[in-house]
Amino acid sequence: MVVDKLNQERIVLLTAIVLFVFFSITLNGFIDPGNLLSLVQNVSILGILGVGMALAIIGRGIDLSILSTMPVSAAWMLNLINDGMPIWLALACALAFVVLVGIVNGVLIAYVEVPAIFATLAMGIVVYGIGKAWLVPIDSVYIRGGESWFYAIGTGRILGVPTPVIVFAGVALLAWLFLRYLKPGRFIYGIGDNPLAARITGMPVRPMIVLQYILISIIALVAGIVTATALSGINTRVALSTMVYDVILVVVLGGIGLSGGKGGIRNVIVGTLLIGILLNGMTIMNLSYTVQNILKSVILLAAIVVDTLLNPRDEQTAQHGDI
Amino acid sequence: MKAMRLIAALAASAALALGASGASSEPYNDGQSASYYEVLKGKRVAFVPLSMGFDLTEGWNAGLQNQAEALGYTVDIRDPNWNVEAAVQAVNGFIADKPDVLILHPLDQQAYNRLVPKAQSEGIKVIQINLKSITNGDAYVGADWYEMGYKQAEEIVRACGKDSGNNGKIAIVTGQASTPTIVIGNMAFDDVFAQHPEIEVVAKQSADFDPAKAKSVTSTILKQNPDLCGILGVWDGQDQGTAAAVREAGMQDQVYVVSSGGGNKAAACDNVESGDFDAYYSYDVPGQARDLNAAVKILLQQTDMEPGAAPFALYTPLKLITKDNLSPTSCWTLEELQVSGG
Amino acid sequence: MAASDTWTRWRYRYVPDHIIGEVLAKNWIDTLIPVVFLAGVLTFFSIELPGFLSGSNLTDIAQIYGEYLIIIVGITFVMMAGGIDLTVGSTFAFCNLAALLVINTMEVNLALGIPAVMLMGGAIGLVNGLLIGYLGMRAFLTTLVMLIIVRALVDQGLLDYGQTVMSGFNPSAAWEFMAIGHVYGIPASLIVGGVVALVGHIVLTRMRFGWHVMAVGGSRRSAYNAGIHVKRTVCATYVLSGMLTGLAATFYAARLSSAGTDVGKGLEVTMLTAAVLGGISLGGGRGSIVKAMLGAIIVLLVQNSLIRMGLSSGASSLVLGAILLLAVAIDVRWVKNRHKVLARTYVSPTYFKLPPLPDTAEGSGSDYALNDRLRGVEAIGLGELDGPEDVIFDDEDDLYCGGRHGDIIRFSAPDYARWEVFVHIGGHPLGMAFDREGNLYSCVGGMGLFRIAPDRTVTKLSDETNRSLLSVVDDSRLRLADDLDIAPDGRVFFSEATIRYEMYDWMVDALEARGNGRIICWDPKDNSSRTVLPSLQLPNGICVEPNGQSLLFAETWGCRITRWWFDGPNKGRKEVIIDNLPGYPDNINRASDGNFWCALCGMRSPVFDLALTMPSFRRRMVQKVARDEWLYPNMNTGCVIKFDADGNILDVLWDLGGEAHPMITSIREHKGWLYLGGIYNNRIGRYRIPDADPQWTSNADYWGKRS
Repeated sequence: MVVDKLNQERIVLLTAIVLFVFFSITLNGFIDPGNLLSLVQNVSILGILGVGMALAIIGRGIDLSILSTMPVSAAWMLNLINDGMPIWLALACALAFVVLVGIVNGVLIAYVEVPAIFATLAMGIVVYGIGKAWLVPIDSVYIRGGESWFYAIGTGRILGVPTPVIVFAGVALLAWLFLRYLKPGRFIYGIGDNPLAARITGMPVRPMIVLQYILISIIALVAGIVTATALSGINTRVALSTMVYDVILVVVLGGIGLSGGKGGIRNVIVGTLLIGILLNGMTIMNLSYTVQNILKSVILLAAIVVDTLLNPRDEQTAQHGDI
Repeated sequence: MKAMRLIAALAASAALALGASGASSEPYNDGQSASYYEVLKGKRVAFVPLSMGFDLTEGWNAGLQNQAEALGYTVDIRDPNWNVEAAVQAVNGFIADKPDVLILHPLDQQAYNRLVPKAQSEGIKVIQINLKSITNGDAYVGADWYEMGYKQAEEIVRACGKDSGNNGKIAIVTGQASTPTIVIGNMAFDDVFAQHPEIEVVAKQSADFDPAKAKSVTSTILKQNPDLCGILGVWDGQDQGTAAAVREAGMQDQVYVVSSGGGNKAAACDNVESGDFDAYYSYDVPGQARDLNAAVKILLQQTDMEPGAAPFALYTPLKLITKDNLSPTSCWTLEELQVSGG
Repeated sequence: MAASDTWTRWRYRYVPDHIIGEVLAKNWIDTLIPVVFLAGVLTFFSIELPGFLSGSNLTDIAQIYGEYLIIIVGITFVMMAGGIDLTVGSTFAFCNLAALLVINTMEVNLALGIPAVMLMGGAIGLVNGLLIGYLGMRAFLTTLVMLIIVRALVDQGLLDYGQTVMSGFNPSAAWEFMAIGHVYGIPASLIVGGVVALVGHIVLTRMRFGWHVMAVGGSRRSAYNAGIHVKRTVCATYVLSGMLTGLAATFYAARLSSAGTDVGKGLEVTMLTAAVLGGISLGGGRGSIVKAMLGAIIVLLVQNSLIRMGLSSGASSLVLGAILLLAVAIDVRWVKNRHKVLARTYVSPTYFKLPPLPDTAEGSGSDYALNDRLRGVEAIGLGELDGPEDVIFDDEDDLYCGGRHGDIIRFSAPDYARWEVFVHIGGHPLGMAFDREGNLYSCVGGMGLFRIAPDRTVTKLSDETNRSLLSVVDDSRLRLADDLDIAPDGRVFFSEATIRYEMYDWMVDALEARGNGRIICWDPKDNSSRTVLPSLQLPNGICVEPNGQSLLFAETWGCRITRWWFDGPNKGRKEVIIDNLPGYPDNINRASDGNFWCALCGMRSPVFDLALTMPSFRRRMVQKVARDEWLYPNMNTGCVIKFDADGNILDVLWDLGGEAHPMITSIREHKGWLYLGGIYNNRIGRYRIPDADPQWTSNADYWGKRS
């Protein structure tokens, strides 16, 4: 009976708790509140991006361009500011850019009916290309001077809590409210669950998909701003890294099925926390980066294997073309 | 037809007249300058960087282009965007075009092993910059990575070692561990610390050249080791993140951060000035650009020498930048280099 | 009116509209998109880049292309089976490191080293395969996680062995050959890649494993239900992909000896782009090795040329991304709309004008005047039969007929109450005839010409004929063999109704009014089949005349009966003997008085006759109106006619209202009775012919009395 209730989210939560207890006992200083705060802070960017990715995956999509949109938009904004543009105007420009990216993504997926994986994969390459060719010719953009409140987004503290954590919480809360209480949010669940049925019932499937990718792009910009202000600069090479895979894993690990319609923001938080605990613990143990990577990915694989074992797919009900 | 011929004849005579008037005011020749200009004119130089769009390659390129423009030769670039395979294709493409000099910026020590001799056998002279393949080309311009590591390690020993009165606890936040420069640098670190047993490396973590990772790694290390004395970084771009973590923890006065890089103002001097970096070893891109130009010009003038006949190296003098010796000329910006570099 | 008629006639006779639809229906049309793309890429870059096609550049490209080929063959198998393999990039890096370590540094013999490296790749593939195939995990996510794991292992390996690898060097000649060797200018990797592609193609298209892969990708559930080992097949594709990636990595290792951190990064995207660009569908089932090869060469040429053009890396990735988008968008739209385009263009009507419709009204004095003589005829096998298209008798008076279930059924004389399945063939037997030795010949729809010996052994005589030179559709295969008759020398003449439609679509052929059918002769001397009369309008009934030199054949949509001499002094002559039937003629058979019976399976209507003169109207109808609403010829009522050798109508038998025999496709006279078959009927009718010879049998008439 217990096994019945063990879905992936609970498995991951359980793993996270076990690891947490284990690290608390074995590692000096792990349980220290300062360390716990920095644990969350260190994965807050991943978490913010995870919230965006969750929106896509719940709607039976995926957004691989998020890791190009994030650095390119933020770096362009910094470039504009460094060239003397007022912050609010630069922010408006960056916002316009990410909305445009979101619209193109959404139109490609909803209207041209290109599978989301490919539309966003290609858009990721295109956005990086546009960025490098025109918007951000030099990879690394640094924040120059400036004591504005704006730069405190990544570095400040409110009531002792680092601002990135607060931004993460804010984004998660807004996304939760959106998915839970707004009509488009409910529609996204419907579309993810069964796009054809959603369409037949009269949901505006295509506009909703476009909206969904616009929101994701905006979340990417938020993550970019937090990253840039936290590190007082940003490097567009992140787009070439494999970080986007980490983001997907955070989401899927938390228990949001790739087939859409299931899960919520809670799952993202659970997945993010597990990754955070793992990374923090392993860094304290002074494991080398490569070993950390191996351990992390093997644990991820184990999590999805367990999920598959508990919720197996059936040949008779598997959907064709469902990769 | 007739009209055409007439025009051609007129043009020819006009050209003759011009040539004659030009010849009448020939510039001063000190015995070498005329042939110097003559030899360089119209030559072709090819450059395959790791990737354009970051401070080192943009800086070198600015220097190369300035000189080429002044002396009438060309520098063509093909940008493989960090991809070895693309870089090899780019080099092969250049070899087929047969430029006079080929400048390579290798990503690792093997990929160009066959290409360097191949280019030389086609009569192309090869310069390698900032990292050497195992096969020597005609010239090497760039840092000695062992020396770089050695000096950085010595700097942190000076700050945290026996004579400093500090506890000797340091952390190393290194880059992508399999990169050759990192491997060589690590050997130097080990050699230095072997001579200084008072230094205790409490953590050695790779941040994969990613400032975000460097920041999270560093913040965890700082939580674990509140009495840390120094952090050894390996590349300014990544150490930005390390420094951000130190700053956030409010430990800038306690933790001595050593970084290194090409000495770009935004990446180096600004950070030294703000106290993010306490010491910075620069391999001074403007200097390297000048060395690079020198190597190019030497090879272009050695017209009668076969490629590989007289290989030489120009190791870059390393420059220590700290708050004490910081001056407006310590660093460079791309804008300056584009105006007057090389 | 006349002028525009002439214009329409010429327009539709000489403009071959049907070719468009036939080309679009070809399987290779999918490949045309990448071919056109490739041609465009080649043209563009050879104009833009001097030396693009020069020898040294081609050698460089060929070397890399060889490696790409090896990898993409594996990817093709994975994708054809409905999966996706994102691990290739990391597997490639892993195997590259392994190859350098094993072959370059440890100097292991290549004959051992290469298989060892391939096994390592295969092992990674096996993990993928076990997880995806046997545990049923999602391919995308699983290979993604494996990508990260293997990449982490590679990073660790580089840490441990990076320095060792750097110093190694294998001096063996074979290793050198893999790196830079070539045969007649073709680099070693391309030779191996070519062989791999060829073998891959043969396996995929000709061998059991390949068919299983395609079945699994085409419809996983059906494949499972059909008893294919879905799990094993899926698993095997990943192992194959891993092993081939390992092989490619050894070539890469030989060529560059580089153990950099960036080796293989993004390879999965490149390969995915290549596969999709070539036209291999995501989700499986559609694609080929050739398509993959095309996709790979396009991607490689574009990549290589963008680098050589000296574009900034931003612009290069912009172009690559845009090409990927374009390719996927075209692929998606094409797959989605292909059948729509095909449906709009395949049916291509032509102009056909029939003479004025003869009168059939009761009491009109017409040859075809209505009567009710078939009402209330006796029925045989009522409700037990399904589609007895033709009826025939053996020397023992037993009755044979076909059925839609793929059987030939035998009713026993004399009362025809008991029946049994004589043989099961599998397709719907249509026309039938007995030869001199008592073998039964039958045209089986969708299958061809078959012979059934008295001991019930079934022999396939023909399922193909000669391919015509200019036909776009493959007309060598028999789609709808219809009726047959046997000449005295044993040659079998049989009709094929149409070469453009399958059996279930035969009525659509009426909308075209083009001569899509033909008569084929099967010769027992050398067991060969040849088309003897092409371009007929749904040829149907065939009857060899008693002279043994000519035959009569009916063209259903042409509403005419023609005599054709296949032998004797008039050999090759063709004459129309009845050219304006009021209905659509079907089978023709001999009558006891030396004349002929013919069944009319449906009657003409003025509306359809008019439509036949208006091809553009029918085209619009096909394009704009739902299929069920199309205007078809009437097939609800019909009759039987008797005519003499000169084409004079002697008698006509009607079943008014079509209650018992709504559609008569066949008639057979036997011992004073006329037996009626119908392809949609549930019975065989039996009509007593007044004044007929009660001893006459068709067999005796053809072959003489047997002792």
